[in-house]
Amino acid sequence: MFAQFLFIASALLTVGGAIAVAVTKNIMHSCIFLLTSLIGMAGLYATLGADFVAVTQIMVYVGGIVILMLFAVMLTGGKDFVSRAQNLLGLAPAMGNKWTYAVGTLVGIVFLATNVKLIMNIVSVNAPKTFGTEFPSTVSQIGHLLVKEHVLAFELSSVLLLGALVGAAIIARPRKQG
Amino acid sequence: MNQTLVSYLSQYEFYDVLLGFFGNNQTLLAVTIYFLFAAAIVGLMATVGGLGTYAERKISADIQQRIGPNRVGPYGILQFLADGVKMLTKEDVMPFTADKFLFYLAPMLALVGVFATLAVLPWSSGFIMADLNVGIFYLIAISSLVGVSVFLGGYASNSKWSMLGGLRGASQIISYEIPVTISILSITLLAGGMGFGTILSHQTGTPINWFIFHNPFAFIAFFVYGIGALAETNRAPFDLPEAESELVSGYHTEYTGMRFGMFALAEYIEVFVVCGVAVALFLGGGNLPFNIELDIIPLQLAQMVIFITKALLLYYVVIWIRWTFPRLRVDQLMTICWKYLTPIALFNLVGCAIWTVVFNGKSIADLVFGGGH
Amino acid sequence: MMGLASYLIISLVLFVVGLVVMLSRKNIVAILLGIELILNAAALNFVAYSRFVTNNLDGHIFSLFIIVVAAAEAAVGLAIVIRFFQIKETIHIDEATQLRN
Repeated sequence: MFAQFLFIASALLTVGGAIAVAVTKNIMHSCIFLLTSLIGMAGLYATLGADFVAVTQIMVYVGGIVILMLFAVMLTGGKDFVSRAQNLLGLAPAMGNKWTYAVGTLVGIVFLATNVKLIMNIVSVNAPKTFGTEFPSTVSQIGHLLVKEHVLAFELSSVLLLGALVGAAIIARPRKQG
Repeated sequence: MNQTLVSYLSQYEFYDVLLGFFGNNQTLLAVTIYFLFAAAIVGLMATVGGLGTYAERKISADIQQRIGPNRVGPYGILQFLADGVKMLTKEDVMPFTADKFLFYLAPMLALVGVFATLAVLPWSSGFIMADLNVGIFYLIAISSLVGVSVFLGGYASNSKWSMLGGLRGASQIISYEIPVTISILSITLLAGGMGFGTILSHQTGTPINWFIFHNPFAFIAFFVYGIGALAETNRAPFDLPEAESELVSGYHTEYTGMRFGMFALAEYIEVFVVCGVAVALFLGGGNLPFNIELDIIPLQLAQMVIFITKALLLYYVVIWIRWTFPRLRVDQLMTICWKYLTPIALFNLVGCAIWTVVFNGKSIADLVFGGGH
Repeated sequence: MMGLASYLIISLVLFVVGLVVMLSRKNIVAILLGIELILNAAALNFVAYSRFVTNNLDGHIFSLFIIVVAAAEAAVGLAIVIRFFQIKETIHIDEATQLRN
């Protein structure tokens, strides 16, 4: 019962936060709603028994990415641009004219139908297993996997991070005019 | 394994009695126990935070050869209640140009971030809300909400002082997270796990088994952690975000009444939490100084008392440092973090790894006295 | 109620919302927010499949790498945004039409 409560709360937080990101005009508020969405996502990971991934999610996103985003919004003024008058129900900024909407609706219906078909297959074939509340620890297993089977990806990701760090520092460095 | 408070209590007989009382509804009983314990801990922490303000003034008065608060109650000890009443009854002012939503949100985020860390703080070997496998990692992660709240408080107030304070606070908290996390990682390496239960189970018995005395690298790591934690909680000499002589009071300049109180309370509780983490990681936590097989409630309470006493001693040191050292400049702050603390922390991590391999995980005491576990 | 399908539906909603954010906003930072949502939707799928279908931890590893990539992408992306703002004094995406000068 508690696991279900956690699942529903996390799902509402995730989806609600994401939709709020889409409909909020103020970009600073969008960042905060992204934060709630990401924390809800950590809750979803927790219901899946992925404790390490959940905590990493909070650590990287809350402690790093969201603060970076807030910094960027503040340094760039935080203006949002609503350039066209045609709004979708007055919520989301418009993306085109009526032909765009017509084609978009058609594509959306096809996409939705495909997804419903796929998910129906999953529901019927792969009936949900019983959902226990006890999960084995994933930390040591993930550690072993990272340094044994996935060691190449692990090292490559460290090179990627180093490259991103140096690159970001070089790009954002203030330069002399001229 | 994920041990929790409920699974610990369920080994006693009175748990079954209680279970019958709740009509054999496990979930309801578990929620009730968690709720009661959480309420007790939050109440205790609010008192510690309140008494922290009193202790701060009294100790600073002592250091500066003054008397300090002495009017409300014996030795002025009820001063924090008077302050609380004053804050609650003050007018709640909000700047006209402030971002209302973020302005309301910021102090609550600070309190949420700090209170969420209390869930994994090991009060004793049994009394711990949830001994997660990722305990210490969770604690670092969730406490970074405080950084977001500092930034938002500075941004939402729409005031130059607050903005500068928020900027400084966010950059300081992000930067100092790195040496702190690496120091904690080296202890995780020695203990072989991130749960507080695992870490504490390696430090039983006499103080010689504490991780601070495990090897020279761990000894240095303790001080790196201490300096970094001071900076992360915005305490002097790293209190640049609220430097009162230059920024009025930084990110909470525009906050009045209980919103200011929430920021202050969050800060004092966070100091207690980082002291508690230092005690659990390096100073043996609440472990009794002798090995005992019995597991009864009074011994657990004794452990709790030991843990809180050690944490409060460190709390005293933190206040002592605040009133003894001058404040740093911003560039000095960043120099200390990136040019000194981070390389030292990395060196410690490598050193601990090499020590673990070479001496097969034995501590200095094991090597000298020929023990080993 | 908490089977694989419910996680997939949440992930689907997140992906679509992220796509809408990415396509409809003109602010570069907002576009990066949309990208984060899309990456998260993918990571959730990986963890959900690893729990319900494969029963091993490879999905966890993959979502960890997604988080790493997201962090690198956010750092470089925001550095570019700040640099762009220094040059153009706006972060309207339609202004970004030149590759040099």
